[in-house]
Amino acid sequence: MVGMTRGEKLFTVLNYGFFIILIAVMIYPFWYMVMASVSDSSLIAKGGLFLVPVGFSVDSYKAVFQNVSILSGFKVTIISTVAATLIGTFFTATTAYAISKKRLRGQRVFSFLILFTMLFSGGLIPNYLLIKQLHLIDSYWALILPGAVGAWNIFVMQSFFKGLPEELEEAAKIDGANDLTVFFRIVLPLSKAVLATVSLFIAVWFWNDFFSSVIYMSSKEMWQLQMVLKDLISNTSAAVQQAGIDISYQGEINEFTLKMASIIVSSLPILIVYPFLQKHFVKGALIGSVKG
Amino acid sequence: MTIEASKPNIGLSGQEKAAKGTFMKDVIRDKYLYLLLLPGMLLILLFRYVPMYGIIIAFQDFNIFQGMNDQEWVGFAQFSRLFHSPDFIEILRNTILISVYKLLCAFTIPVILSLLLNELRHVAFKRVTQSIIYLPHFISWVIFSGILISFLNPVDGMVNAIIEMFGGKPIDFLGDTRYFRSILVISDSYKEVGWGTIIYLAAISGVSPELYESARMDGANKARQMWHVTLPAIRPVIIILLILSLANILEAGFQQIYLLYSPLVYDVSDIIDTYVYRVGIQDANYSYATAAGLFKSVVAMVLIVSVNKIVKKAGQDGLW
Repeated sequence: MVGMTRGEKLFTVLNYGFFIILIAVMIYPFWYMVMASVSDSSLIAKGGLFLVPVGFSVDSYKAVFQNVSILSGFKVTIISTVAATLIGTFFTATTAYAISKKRLRGQRVFSFLILFTMLFSGGLIPNYLLIKQLHLIDSYWALILPGAVGAWNIFVMQSFFKGLPEELEEAAKIDGANDLTVFFRIVLPLSKAVLATVSLFIAVWFWNDFFSSVIYMSSKEMWQLQMVLKDLISNTSAAVQQAGIDISYQGEINEFTLKMASIIVSSLPILIVYPFLQKHFVKGALIGSVKG
Repeated sequence: MTIEASKPNIGLSGQEKAAKGTFMKDVIRDKYLYLLLLPGMLLILLFRYVPMYGIIIAFQDFNIFQGMNDQEWVGFAQFSRLFHSPDFIEILRNTILISVYKLLCAFTIPVILSLLLNELRHVAFKRVTQSIIYLPHFISWVIFSGILISFLNPVDGMVNAIIEMFGGKPIDFLGDTRYFRSILVISDSYKEVGWGTIIYLAAISGVSPELYESARMDGANKARQMWHVTLPAIRPVIIILLILSLANILEAGFQQIYLLYSPLVYDVSDIIDTYVYRVGIQDANYSYATAAGLFKSVVAMVLIVSVNKIVKKAGQDGLW
């Protein structure tokens, strides 16, 4: 703080103070949930949980991993997220690469067809009827395919591909490579950053999706994890018992700690990959919003 | 993979120019690019364009047990039913009000936060702060609504516990029309404002440090530096983001409302999207709900297209 005026010093102190409070406010709900999930539920009911757990018990976590619905939700979500991320990232890249080439005949038409989907859509009911008529109700494809390839991600990747030096492609072609070889051998290996960004966006979207279950899944076995959670959170204890919690735990855990534990378990994958991907997604968010 | 086996294609830039003769020659030259394009375009045609064709049911009296071709055509009857329905004014008003409130917050708070974040000189602290304020953007609305519901619960929620501690009466926040919209706006801001700072921070980092130095020499304090240096520097970004978000004025946030609302607060929270879902999927009024959805899509498209024109007239890069 050398060389600062008094006003600047005051500002700096207040500014740091403000952000410390903001961080606390942002973290507190998550902190509270973690503490609640490991607390003794009978003690929480008396109201005493603020900063540290009251009592200690991991029973709610045991219950989460014995809950049939939650396990099946995990299965459905993991399968659809992994498949959608692989399929989505791959075909987003191939499509984006093709339309990044100005020389391609019809490039402007294809770009417009993709752009137009950002401006106008058929809406909920026609989408639902399409899935129904394709007989995809209650199938993984209904969760995966409609959202896997989207205009926004295509444009994010396209603007990245456009930035790659053309000399690379030309040199490879002199050596006898065709467009497929150029794409797989040269372009993809150079595009790890944007591939990571787009796959993160796709993965987060699918991990957090519940609405596809609301409209496309009629059987509970095909519910995504977030849908199971939604059901658990918004319903009363009757539903929690139906959800198949082991009888032996019913005395010790209540709905509340179970909800908290399930919320934490289901957000864990995102929280784990988050720090590793932060620098990528910031870049991706910028490519996306600055693109012309 | 056939990559190894496939014959090298004509690709020298000189030859390319020479081959720029006929259409078919170009198509054959770029056959692998078309091959790469194909799957993505098929997915888009099937899942984006076929539903657009499905919009025709808004002009029919759709019966799920009949084929697409055997439906009864009713012209604009569904639309006139919609526009004459007392629900219509309510859902339109809610949609616009909720998104305008959200826009005001989502728009001003990130700018202010970015200005303040930019003043943090301690690199590690700044980075931690950014990580934490971006994080809620990645947490699902299901989880977020779960947290809100448990915090605001009138029986054992923490907020009401505190109110009671100070001698107040517990409030059913999510069941009370007076509070519901504020909760929507506050929770949306909480979740998304951090994410909203990314682009402003990038713009601010492009401002030359010399400008600040000379402003300081002239005796400008922090507030004046922000006002006279930083804000003008990021004004183009602010303007373009404002205009683009105006184009989304009918997006009031379906997921959030769907997860938090209840019949108690339909009056103040039912938006076009939630209405379409309820009358369409739940009550199986397919044609009527499609008409409502189409109304929204058309208004949204008109807004986006005109906003893009305005942006370009103002000399900025538009969406296209």
